[in-house]
Amino acid sequence: MAAEDVQKTLEELSRELQESKARLEEAQRIAQVGHYYWNLIENRVIWSDELYRIYGLSPQKDPIDMAICREMIHPEDREFVFRTAEEALHSEARPDIEHRVVRPDGEVRTVHALGTVKRDASGRPYEMFGTVQDITERKRAEEALQQTQIYLREGQRLARMGSWAFNDSGLYWSDELYQIFGLDPGNGAPTVEQHLAIIHPQDRASMAETIQTMFQQHCGCDITKRIVRPDGQLRYVRCVAIPVIEQGVFKGLRGSAMDVTEQELLTQELRRQQAYLAEAQSLTHVGSWACNFLTGKMFHLSDEALRLYGFDSDSPGISFERLYNATHPEDEPALREQFYRAINARKDYDLEYRIYRPDGTIRCLRSLGHHDPAQEIGEYIGITMDITERKLSEAEHEKLRQLEADLAHINRVNMMGELAAALAHEIKQPIAASITSANTCLRWLAHDPPNLERARAAAARTEREGNRAADVINRLRSFYKKGTPPKREMVDMRAVILEMAALLQTEAIRYSVAIHSAVDADTPKILVDRVQLQQVFMNLMLNAIEAMKDTGGALTITARPNSQGQIVVSISDTGVGLPQESTEQIFDAFHTTKPEGTGMGLAITRSIVESHGGRVWANANQGAGATFHFTLPVEGEAHA
Amino acid sequence: MKSAGAPTVFIIDDDRGMRQSIQDLVESVGLHAESFATSGEFLKRKRTNDPSCLVLDVRLPQMSGLDFQRQLAESGMQIPIIFVTAHGDVPMSVRALKSGAVEFLTKPFRDQDLLDAIQQALQRDRAEQEQQAEINDLQERYGALTAREQQVMALVVSGMLNKQIASEIGASEATVKIHRGNVMRKMQAGSVVDLVRMDDKLKLSPRK
Repeated sequence: MAAEDVQKTLEELSRELQESKARLEEAQRIAQVGHYYWNLIENRVIWSDELYRIYGLSPQKDPIDMAICREMIHPEDREFVFRTAEEALHSEARPDIEHRVVRPDGEVRTVHALGTVKRDASGRPYEMFGTVQDITERKRAEEALQQTQIYLREGQRLARMGSWAFNDSGLYWSDELYQIFGLDPGNGAPTVEQHLAIIHPQDRASMAETIQTMFQQHCGCDITKRIVRPDGQLRYVRCVAIPVIEQGVFKGLRGSAMDVTEQELLTQELRRQQAYLAEAQSLTHVGSWACNFLTGKMFHLSDEALRLYGFDSDSPGISFERLYNATHPEDEPALREQFYRAINARKDYDLEYRIYRPDGTIRCLRSLGHHDPAQEIGEYIGITMDITERKLSEAEHEKLRQLEADLAHINRVNMMGELAAALAHEIKQPIAASITSANTCLRWLAHDPPNLERARAAAARTEREGNRAADVINRLRSFYKKGTPPKREMVDMRAVILEMAALLQTEAIRYSVAIHSAVDADTPKILVDRVQLQQVFMNLMLNAIEAMKDTGGALTITARPNSQGQIVVSISDTGVGLPQESTEQIFDAFHTTKPEGTGMGLAITRSIVESHGGRVWANANQGAGATFHFTLPVEGEAHA
Repeated sequence: MKSAGAPTVFIIDDDRGMRQSIQDLVESVGLHAESFATSGEFLKRKRTNDPSCLVLDVRLPQMSGLDFQRQLAESGMQIPIIFVTAHGDVPMSVRALKSGAVEFLTKPFRDQDLLDAIQQALQRDRAEQEQQAEINDLQERYGALTAREQQVMALVVSGMLNKQIASEIGASEATVKIHRGNVMRKMQAGSVVDLVRMDDKLKLSPRK
């Protein structure tokens, strides 16, 4: 081979070597891998350029000082690195370790060091060669990943949320998902059939359908279903799934499952409570609300509160103003004043007022407001209730009470018969004694000789008993003087008739008598003493019932105005009719055709009617029974 | 004051004036009278066998006169009653009279009506007492008979002949004759007809 050829070859080889070396260095730089030789005989270490760079130093050709080398290894790893190297020299082990280095600027890098020990024929080590790779970034990424996985696992555990994925490589379930379903991770992810078997029977069909839909239509889902764990526990699980689509191709599904049992139970409980509350409010007509009266901002307004005001529970956005404006104009000024007083004093309130509903009806409301002084001024929470019925019943009650009082009076009058009988006894007693004594006196005088002493005693007793009878009558007169004077007021005839018909209903039913009344609603009111008018009806109606008590029949009451400015009331029966004698006589006091009668009823009736400027008369009916009529002037003229 | 055997008129009326008037009226015709305000006071008074009657007010403080009438009858106390009332009605008087009242008078009554009623009542009581005395006498006589004699008397009264009675009680006809003679003597019966009448009275009256 020619010298120049050799030279040329050498040059070529040298160039190739250089290129090879440059490529190696390039490779080392890209891979961040450096290498070293450690001449064990001379205890010299030579580093590649990249190794210097990994250590944060400038590359140099000279061997590196072992001391520097040692110094730069992280203090916590230093001993471990050199012990490993030492061990490698005395054994067949190839060092393969990771350790940290501290660069001159303080930055810590993690490296992966591999080594191999070369030995001579006698087995004595003479050189260690190795590579060092900077794995800091990979290490950090690994750690970060690890951390992320820990966080994820922890997060899933804490949130009771599991995740899953279904794709070409199969079905993946996270640990927490197994926990949620109560399954053993060792058995692997369940098949669709196994999965469905765990679903609550009532939710199973819909879940199967959902799964099918997701695969067919490549869509996701968000549903809450019930599962029954193998241990029998029922849990609510919310499943969210999204389809994985890469470049328009459906790759599978990914999703999460969360145990929402507690939330679900709470939600159900809350819904139940709300339902109860709404029910209670609607039953009691009590609505609840919270608002700031000064700003007019409503924080809460229950359905029932809306209904109280006559709005549908689903009418949207009813403002405070709108509700307030429903207040009855007569009540509004007082209401406003009381509101402001309570608000300024930061006090609770309890108010009653009337409102107009949108349909025009008037309702009475009672509103109770509570102000927490810790809250903003004007902020109140409270309830509003409908007290219309209560108000009406109070009024009704008052009316009934009045009627009762009136009837007590009537009963007193009705007891006239009893009273008269009692009086008869009271008076008869002394009169009988007086008569007997007078006769006895005569008898004593008729003796022969006359017994004057006994005759005188008998005469004295005659006088005494006579006076006793007079006393009874005097007491009776003073009793009558105490009677209250008549009290005239405007009275609705129709109402009185209805009242009396209701009052005598029991009596009528007992004798199979039906009471009818025909009174025009526009019959004018008349100025009378209500109680006395009731007495008149009582007397005439009782008489009518009495007349039909053996046969039953119909009692008809009519009231109509006549042309003389009077109201004519007629009370007609289908009973025994009138006695043969003059119909005028029946109104006389003590005139009676009834064995139990006192003969006062019609006399009192006439007296009352005439004192009101009216007239009373009776006539026999064409058919059976009799009709009693009385008139009362519409312009109440007093003939008291 | 009153002689033994003289009748007594009792008056019960809660009205003092009425009570006094009636007592005075009764006394004016020479009869003995005692008056009481209540039925209780009357019951405390010890009764004699002398004829008596009772003028009773229907309306009494404790119980009505009609109830008192019934109470007296139930306790076996027999006394004719005249009712007086200031407040009587027809059903009430019918009830009183059915229960054996002598008269039912409404106040004020004619004095003679009351006095007539009293006379009638006393007469009734007297007759009642006489009858009772006779019965007492008969019962005494009957009590004096031996058991065998009472047996024989019952068979005689039933109309049996001596021969029949003998076979009935298992004795000789002669023995029956002796018993029969004893019965007639002890009962003071003049004839069989007399004995039958006595037997009737004994049967009607309660045994003492």
